[in-house]
Amino acid sequence: MSLIDLLALLPVLILAFGGTAILMVGAWYREPRPLLAGGIATALIGAVAAGMVPPPSLEIAGLFSAGGYARFFTILWALLAAAGLMVATRYIMEKRLGAGEYVSLVLYAAAGMALLSSATHLLGLFLALETFTLAFYILIASNRRCEMAAEAGLKYLLMGAVATGFMAFGIALIYASSGTLALPDAALRMTAAAGGLQPWGLLGWGLVLIAVGFKISLAPFHLWTPDVYQGAPAPVGGLLATGSKGAVVAALVGMLSLAGPVWHDLVDLLWLLAAVTMLAGALGALGQKNLKRLLAYSSVTHMGTLLVGLLCQNTEGLAATTFYVVVYAITSLGAFAVIASLADQRGEPMAFDEWRGLGYRHPVRSAVLVLILLSLAGLPGTAGFMAKFAVFQAALQSGYLGLVLIGVFASVVSFAFYLRVAMLLFQPEAPAVQRHAGTAPEHAVVAVCTAAVLVFGLFPGILFDLIGRLLP
Amino acid sequence: MSTLATLPQFPWLSLLVLLPLAGALLCLLHSGRPAECRALALATSLAVFGVALYLFIYHGQGDGRWLLYEDSAWISRYGIRYVLAMDGIALLMVLLTAFMQLAAILLAWRVERQVAGFFALLLLLEAGLMGIFLAYDLVFFYLFWEVALIPMFFLISVWGGANRRRAALKFFLYTLVGSFCMLVAMIALYQIHGAQTGVYTFVIGELLHTQLTAAQEGWLFAGFLAAFIVKSPLVPFHTWLTDALTEAPAAGSLDLTGLLLKTGIYGLIRLAFPLFPNATAHFLPILGVLALVGLFHAAWSAYHQDDIKRLLAYSSISHLGLVVLGLAAWQLTAWEGSLLLMVTHGITTGALFILVALIRERTATRSMQELGGLWGQVPCLAFFFLFFSLASLGLPGLANFAGEILVLLGTFRAHPVWAVAALLGVVFAAAYMLRLVQGVIWGPARSERTLPDLTLREWLMLLPMALLVVWLGLYPAPFLAPLHGTVAVLLAGGLP
Repeated sequence: MSLIDLLALLPVLILAFGGTAILMVGAWYREPRPLLAGGIATALIGAVAAGMVPPPSLEIAGLFSAGGYARFFTILWALLAAAGLMVATRYIMEKRLGAGEYVSLVLYAAAGMALLSSATHLLGLFLALETFTLAFYILIASNRRCEMAAEAGLKYLLMGAVATGFMAFGIALIYASSGTLALPDAALRMTAAAGGLQPWGLLGWGLVLIAVGFKISLAPFHLWTPDVYQGAPAPVGGLLATGSKGAVVAALVGMLSLAGPVWHDLVDLLWLLAAVTMLAGALGALGQKNLKRLLAYSSVTHMGTLLVGLLCQNTEGLAATTFYVVVYAITSLGAFAVIASLADQRGEPMAFDEWRGLGYRHPVRSAVLVLILLSLAGLPGTAGFMAKFAVFQAALQSGYLGLVLIGVFASVVSFAFYLRVAMLLFQPEAPAVQRHAGTAPEHAVVAVCTAAVLVFGLFPGILFDLIGRLLP
Repeated sequence: MSTLATLPQFPWLSLLVLLPLAGALLCLLHSGRPAECRALALATSLAVFGVALYLFIYHGQGDGRWLLYEDSAWISRYGIRYVLAMDGIALLMVLLTAFMQLAAILLAWRVERQVAGFFALLLLLEAGLMGIFLAYDLVFFYLFWEVALIPMFFLISVWGGANRRRAALKFFLYTLVGSFCMLVAMIALYQIHGAQTGVYTFVIGELLHTQLTAAQEGWLFAGFLAAFIVKSPLVPFHTWLTDALTEAPAAGSLDLTGLLLKTGIYGLIRLAFPLFPNATAHFLPILGVLALVGLFHAAWSAYHQDDIKRLLAYSSISHLGLVVLGLAAWQLTAWEGSLLLMVTHGITTGALFILVALIRERTATRSMQELGGLWGQVPCLAFFFLFFSLASLGLPGLANFAGEILVLLGTFRAHPVWAVAALLGVVFAAAYMLRLVQGVIWGPARSERTLPDLTLREWLMLLPMALLVVWLGLYPAPFLAPLHGTVAVLLAGGLP
């Protein structure tokens, strides 16, 4: 690796080395606040570096890109890590977790997600994916005294291991048939000219798709999601729901936008996956009695909608998908931040009974949560609507009327279950108990997410223009 | 002088939307101080009413062109523009909204629980309604169309009656299904138009001249129709309304019946008919039959209700059937009658909902079995009840009569059979309204308690409505004047 490569990799290096430094310091110095502040600062510096320091070359060792698109997601995930740490502060202090370990793991995860979003090589993709998944295994189960968290961690580990297996085997098959791991060549060489090995290559892509399906919980590989969301503490859940999925989708945008010939063979499969995922998520959410499980199923639906955007295979669709990823990340993070800010010694409010009438105790955060849920459902005026609008628009343009109608049906069902939560929050006859008032960093994260939901909802042009300039 | 002439026109229409929005925010900021919230809400809606009245007096005359038009870029990527436009019909609806909202605020004066939230939602609803009546870009319209649902949803689900949660969800989901159909149709129309002309835009005026095949036009029209028919509501899709109206708090019922229902019919006039003229021509006979079925079915149901609020809900559906019938006749007089009836129905039925709320406050019941003899106990209240009931059943000289007679005359010219059938329906209305009057204000008193008669606040609500009902009944010309040009243009298949 040359100096130029290293310089191009600077933002990720800042995250990784900053994380390591904090881990080392944390081994001797166990005061959580300065460590967390250091972690937040590192993440922010990483984001600034990604935005301000122009990369000397646009690709790094043939594995990763340092182009505008990659940098955009690097910034997003670094900021997400900073927000995740802000929300986690109280959790770490109350549960007496090792702040050094927690902070470094979050930073590693951010580094992994940033790399994943910029991967241009299947090997780079694999490495980045494993990097952040490994960090999440530990983060989910970071509170060893909580059995739910341990169970969630184990589930995530097992599912992750299976996915890794699929991924590695798939990559091997792709290599066998195309002779390269670099994107887009690995996909472009999948033409009939590849001869007898072409079916194996296609199988390889199918296996990679299954691995991706596990990671972003496409149906029927989504069954782990509700359990893991429920068990993971909200500050980790926030990262898991947004970054870990968003980074994979961002990589997928890069991958599929290039994968010409493979595309035609996979398109029916993707169509089916998108349809089943949207329906499974929406219908699964209907019976839930726990907000975190509900958010898990809702994320399944959202991933299905994202897949619709990916299917469109034109700049319209890719722009819509990218917009959707960003909006979904911000909105979901907001939801988890609200949950985390309400946690007290009884734990986080999860079951619907704990939310009943909470709107009269904590009106502002409850109203914000309603807004966020409505954005997830897709109410006009919020960012969630513009995201869905963009995806449906692109899908109709590409002729996927059936998927749009399924998506519309899923949206109607989503409204039903999100509105049920909204009604619970403001149910008059059952005043809930007082929960935690929340700390300043938590309020800041919630406020920023809320503002983003409204601004991107009313003035989506800002984000669309940016994305339009960055798309590969 | 020349500099004055080039100054951009004052954004009156934006003001109509933004004022209630600002009022809602202010109310939320003053939560915990109910008295200030009430004053704020009243001041805001008075200001909105003032603006609406000003527009009616100084900008109300036109020959079918836009009276006011505001246009600026919004989301350029998708050709979505911030367009607010007002023609004669919109003006009338804006005026009605501003007027009814005043009554709703006064009616909500006695709400005790979460006052700030209640008034903020009422004002938010007003902003949404203004937007629906004024927006002239499909996506912009859709924004208000959906946003107006949210405050009504919370008004019902938090302050409503015993089955409020079920009613609120039903209300929301029914209308939502229709709206989503419309959204898909909107995007499809946008793309067809863009592919033809190369101009991708959601501005309604530009989409008017899209060339559509018969099949395309039929499907797109069906998408729009789904939204508007559910909202109107025509009969097979009306069940959400009776539940929602029955469970909603008094001010919510008032806004729902007086204003929100009108948005469905308004959408037909403003969007569905002009955008898809050929499909409309094919569909009009079906629409007429549906309207007649609704008219009779609802009247029949109304006759058999015991809950007076439910009875009024069915009477609303029945009246709106007559309104739609007038539209289906596609004839100038009938259309003017329909539009007038929309306004007068809003006022008379709105007043009746207010009276039901007042009766409920005093007697704690809405069942006709337990009511009666109010004439002796609360003569002023009973007088207003009788007055508005007679207005509602179409007594000549009072408001509804003018609209009904125009609808019937116009329809008779186009489809005599429909008009004769509708006439029977109007007779039905007399039957259930008289039964209502008989059950509530005549007969022996059911309780010995002395009930308080109207207070000053209640007089303030009812008297202006009563005067307006008389005025509209005897001399509706000033309200019809802004309509002439617009309706003629619409019937000719265009928009201003």
